[in-house]
Amino acid sequence: MKKILAHFNPEQIRESFLVLLILVFVLFFSTQIPDYFNPRFINRISTSVAVIGILAVGQTLVFLTRNFDLSIGSITGVTAYLVGQQLWYHPGIPPILSVVLAIGIGMLMGAINGVLVAYGKVPSIITTIGTLAIYRTFLVEYSHAVPITTNLLPDWIVNLNQVALFSFHGFEFRVLFGILLLVSIIFQFILRYHRFGRLLYAIGSNPSASQIAGFPDRRIVFQAFLISGGLAGLAGFMYLVRFGNIMVLAGIGLEFSSIAAVVVGGVSNMGGSGTIIGAFLGSLFIDILQNSLYRSLAVSEFWRDAILGMLILLAVAIDYLVIGHLRKKWARTGFQLKSEETSNVK
Amino acid sequence: MNKNNNNHKLILDLHHIYKNYDGVKALTDAHFDLRKGEVHALVGENGAGKTTLIKIIMGVIMADSGVIKLDGKPVHIRNPQSAQKFGIAAIYQEPMVFPDLNVAENIFISHADRGSIVHWRKTFQDAEEVLSKLDVNLNVRMPARGLTLAAQQTVEIAKAISLNARILIMDEPTSSLSAHEVKQLFKIVRSLRDSGVSILFIGHRLEEVMEIADRITVFRDGRWISSKPRNEVTIEGVIHDMVGRNVKEFFAKDKTERGDLLMSVRNLYKENVFEGINFDVYRGEVLGFAGLIGSGRTDVGLALFGIGHTDSGHIIFEGNKLKINSPQQALKHGIAYSTEDRRKLGLIMPMPICSNITLPLLQRYLNSLGLIKQRSEEETAESFRKQLDIHTSSIQAMVEELSGGNQQKVMISKWLNADPKLLILDEPTRGIDVATKAEVHNMINDLASQGVAIILISSDLPEVLAMSDRILVMREGNQMGIFNQVEAEEEIIMAVALGQNQTIQENVQ
Repeated sequence: MKKILAHFNPEQIRESFLVLLILVFVLFFSTQIPDYFNPRFINRISTSVAVIGILAVGQTLVFLTRNFDLSIGSITGVTAYLVGQQLWYHPGIPPILSVVLAIGIGMLMGAINGVLVAYGKVPSIITTIGTLAIYRTFLVEYSHAVPITTNLLPDWIVNLNQVALFSFHGFEFRVLFGILLLVSIIFQFILRYHRFGRLLYAIGSNPSASQIAGFPDRRIVFQAFLISGGLAGLAGFMYLVRFGNIMVLAGIGLEFSSIAAVVVGGVSNMGGSGTIIGAFLGSLFIDILQNSLYRSLAVSEFWRDAILGMLILLAVAIDYLVIGHLRKKWARTGFQLKSEETSNVK
Repeated sequence: MNKNNNNHKLILDLHHIYKNYDGVKALTDAHFDLRKGEVHALVGENGAGKTTLIKIIMGVIMADSGVIKLDGKPVHIRNPQSAQKFGIAAIYQEPMVFPDLNVAENIFISHADRGSIVHWRKTFQDAEEVLSKLDVNLNVRMPARGLTLAAQQTVEIAKAISLNARILIMDEPTSSLSAHEVKQLFKIVRSLRDSGVSILFIGHRLEEVMEIADRITVFRDGRWISSKPRNEVTIEGVIHDMVGRNVKEFFAKDKTERGDLLMSVRNLYKENVFEGINFDVYRGEVLGFAGLIGSGRTDVGLALFGIGHTDSGHIIFEGNKLKINSPQQALKHGIAYSTEDRRKLGLIMPMPICSNITLPLLQRYLNSLGLIKQRSEEETAESFRKQLDIHTSSIQAMVEELSGGNQQKVMISKWLNADPKLLILDEPTRGIDVATKAEVHNMINDLASQGVAIILISSDLPEVLAMSDRILVMREGNQMGIFNQVEAEEEIIMAVALGQNQTIQENVQ
């Protein structure tokens, strides 16, 4: 035990545990569901996890600062609709521009959240519950309940979902999953190596010390919401690619999936700890579970949500019990003076 | 170690510093200076203005007036960042580390000059280098969460050194450290001093101050009292300067007949909080609790009111052995406790005076349907308003609109309404004006003459001395002794509270 503790931090232990848990669940479902490992199912998971995973990255940044972003499901829906509508009216918009447009729309909505939370000092849970409803109502009013359908969209966007970067015996590495991996790697790098990322941890870890140290705490919190909005915009684009049909309810409930993913992935709701790797694994776990429960006819639709909810509670309970216990084992490490010959410090 | 610092030049020089908080004088014409490569200790009672002075030096608050000179040139320290630029760093009692970041990052996170990308290997190497300069062995990859308080302090010292701090302020750094850790810390402090860093050291344990300081300055009531080289002072002299008050601006306790024994507390013990608490309290008596903040006075008071468990010991109240597990039980037996923190724990600020007063005994004001009888609530509130002279336009006014003194009266009313046999008053006059203070003292006299037993917890030593029949002194969770009013003098009590007296005059009656 001591040896394990000496070489890994609690986050690494939890992430390894999560990988193990995913494997156990996959094995379990493979015995329950016939033909579980068929390529179509795996490919579908890879595209649906892409949407949740992108949202979880943004949610992680916000969580690190001790905040929540509940509006990202609505942002995803609004962006998917607006981008779909532009592509319907102007089919000539190039792919890159439509992605940029999606991220821009998302950042705009994220900026509103950020201003209210960081500069207006409105608690994030209140702010984003408000904007969750406002953005959704905007979508309802703006669209007049007219859905975007695949036959209105240019071919490239409808087909993009099926485009694989490479494939192996029917198992495809699709573009959407590729985007998720790329975004995850970029943000994992930022969190680990960039000053912005380190300040996110610092601010969530000890807000009053951050203030005394003179960190630009408000700007950092604003930027976290801005990025979360932008990523939700990107997720909106991916949602459009994945479904092609966008109705006013598009993306509803995705904020909860993303929160479930980051909490299960070990991002602390008390701020200051968690990684993108954890959020990615959490997304994978939640998504595999959702899709597997969907396929297993024994479980009703209503139970799926309940099981998801129970998992979140379980993850938090494990966090407090196991990780808290591990942390205590670390605690009480003193220091020694090099000139002290005898090492009698506990 | 005992060097002559007289030739060393002045680094920091504060003159004529004034600071008021809402009309309360925190600092009046205060002076302080710091020479290169010295440890200059600042001592004084709670409320002497030490913390205010530090906050001014660190740029957390600005002085109302006065001059701060660095290297002989007047400067303005507007915020903590500008203090950092001037080479001033502070280490607080509770270290300000980032628990989720590792040791190395905690040392370097305030460095703006290290670029936006963290080079981890270099960060670890640099951190090890800084720590080894301090002679400290510490795993720089470990999250700060896992460090002892002492180790976190060394991380903060390392941070200050890495920022080239020339002035290091240490605010009661030893208060939670073990003897061994204090020794380690002092070794580091001495080597810093010898390398030319100037240290402002604030401490409550005078032996420690005598051990580490080159000079000692005493503050009292926000004023500078004395500054002397260590080898010219004695602990007795320092204590004398800390308490030496001439004016008796306090109401004296009336002579009252001591009634029968009300409560006996025997061997009350709570792990790591207090131990060996033994006292009797009689009807009509005021028993003062003296000691420094954090000495466990409030914890004993809370335990008697049933908040927080005790690990052993017992309480005999009116001849019966009592187990008090909740404030409801305490109230039922006639024990009430008025808290020191009226904003957070004492009153519900956005609620009317009237409702605040009746809240603990709301059952009394219910009619047969379980609804509140507002009329009788108002009658109660009105009678306390008259009795304690609460200045307000209406008893329906919100408590938050009242002055501190009137809030205090509302809080006391709330507990008097329970007709307590024992009333525990925790800091009843802190932060209130002189006139109201006198009214509170008057009220204590009235209650005592009516046969109520009172435990008066106060950091205001002259108040405790003037108002109490007997005084129980606590220090670091231990009961140091009980003194009669006659034999209690400020200097003795302060010496006991600081742990300086050799012979404790135990006086159990």
